[in-house]
Amino acid sequence: MKKNQLIAAAAAAVLGISLLSTGTVFADEAFRTLDEIKESGTINIGVFSDKSPFGYVDENGEYQGYDVYLAERLGEDLGVEINYVSTEAASRIEYLQTGKVDIILANFTVTEERAEEVDFALPYMNVALGVVSPDDAVVESLDDIGEDDQVIVISGTTAETYLVKNYPDIKLQKYDAYAEAKTALENGNAAAWANDNTEVIAFAIENEGFTVGIPSLGSADTIAPAVTKGNETLLDWLNEEIVALGEEQFFHADYEATLLDTYGADYEDTLVVEGGAVGTVETEAE
Amino acid sequence: MEKEVILQYLPLYREALLLTLRIGWQGVLLALVFGVACTWIRQLKIPVLKSLVTVYIELFRNTPLLVQLFFLYFALPKAGIRMTPELCGSLGLGLLGGAYMAETFRSGLESIAPIQEESALSLGMTSMQALRYVILPQAATYSISGIVANVIFLLKETSVFSVISLMDLMFTAKDLIGMYAKTLECLTLLVVFYLIMLLPVSVFGSWLERRMRRAEFGA
Repeated sequence: MKKNQLIAAAAAAVLGISLLSTGTVFADEAFRTLDEIKESGTINIGVFSDKSPFGYVDENGEYQGYDVYLAERLGEDLGVEINYVSTEAASRIEYLQTGKVDIILANFTVTEERAEEVDFALPYMNVALGVVSPDDAVVESLDDIGEDDQVIVISGTTAETYLVKNYPDIKLQKYDAYAEAKTALENGNAAAWANDNTEVIAFAIENEGFTVGIPSLGSADTIAPAVTKGNETLLDWLNEEIVALGEEQFFHADYEATLLDTYGADYEDTLVVEGGAVGTVETEAE
Repeated sequence: MEKEVILQYLPLYREALLLTLRIGWQGVLLALVFGVACTWIRQLKIPVLKSLVTVYIELFRNTPLLVQLFFLYFALPKAGIRMTPELCGSLGLGLLGGAYMAETFRSGLESIAPIQEESALSLGMTSMQALRYVILPQAATYSISGIVANVIFLLKETSVFSVISLMDLMFTAKDLIGMYAKTLECLTLLVVFYLIMLLPVSVFGSWLERRMRRAEFGA
């Protein structure tokens, strides 16, 4: 019995591992070209469902937000239906590599590490990191974080990577999803929450009793659509599309439709990247 | 697969294994305590308490652990009850497991024909003696495979701990994939570490089952 069990377990392990490895073999080819997407009549786009005002589900169950506004237009111009796939921060790369989605439009910050795993199109938004904390104990510098204090981050975000790299002594309280991280901050489970500054600014505006003590942290980055590594036809189309949309000032319209209520007009030129052209930042991450 | 990556991640997985084991076993112990308490109250047959036990069992057997953890960790603080993530984790597992354990104990006890207790009493045993020497040894034999299955089930349920920010095995793997995208290495390590955690339990369980069978009637 004991022996049989061990053999069975070993077999299970081998099977598991071989499944995993074949999984990645498939993943290398697991994208659909532009023509295949058009033929199928549906495009799968990965968006956030809990990151207002960028990607969220409204009270009617409809996807809304800055990212979704762009997604809608992409679907329209491709002439296909959109199938929205709700994603978490940490699964964005996975979803592309396994072909679960054709495009990720989930506020995906361009980084070198990520550019090794997926292909980023031209950017459509600027972003840096920010830190929000309760009014009665505003964190204005990360050096203020005490030994027993914890900082909330969302697993798989640039804020997490930044803190792990640059502040290895700060204790992180990690969550999978935005909704949980926000509730944890509201409940006072941590000293602060570090995330994209757009997100923490929105949080402080929407929730009384919280202040963005550190509005900008780390390097200035951009946000861009991503496709599976090697999916050149789709990438090229996206890049042309983003340049073309710039001519009609599409992303300013997007901002005014989705972000104006939250951020006001002041942030428009700081946040919006039009036609994929960022002033000083290099758009190619490779 | 990259060997250096695996070596680099090993300490993190070890830490996650220790946390998963610590909270997992606290949960299992609590589950046994709750299970025994429920069974005992049911045997006493006090009307109100008995219904309360039924409510508890049905409530926790018919809601996912995920929902229970959400409630303990996110909802209770709004009512002024604060617990650390670790306490929420072990309490959540304990409450869920208690309901399952109670049902397993009950089916064990019910599998003993009433005539055995009657015979024991007619031989002059007190009802405590009948329980101790006749009923329990057999009921334990019948329950043991269910108990082992519950323990393994509970240890595996730790994989939803990420919602309350506990870095268990599953969340550690997901987190590393999110940061460094070494999917194959991370998931392989994950499978291996779950096996390290659970294989001994299942081997020990089968051994225990065989040993306990001695007490089985007519075996």
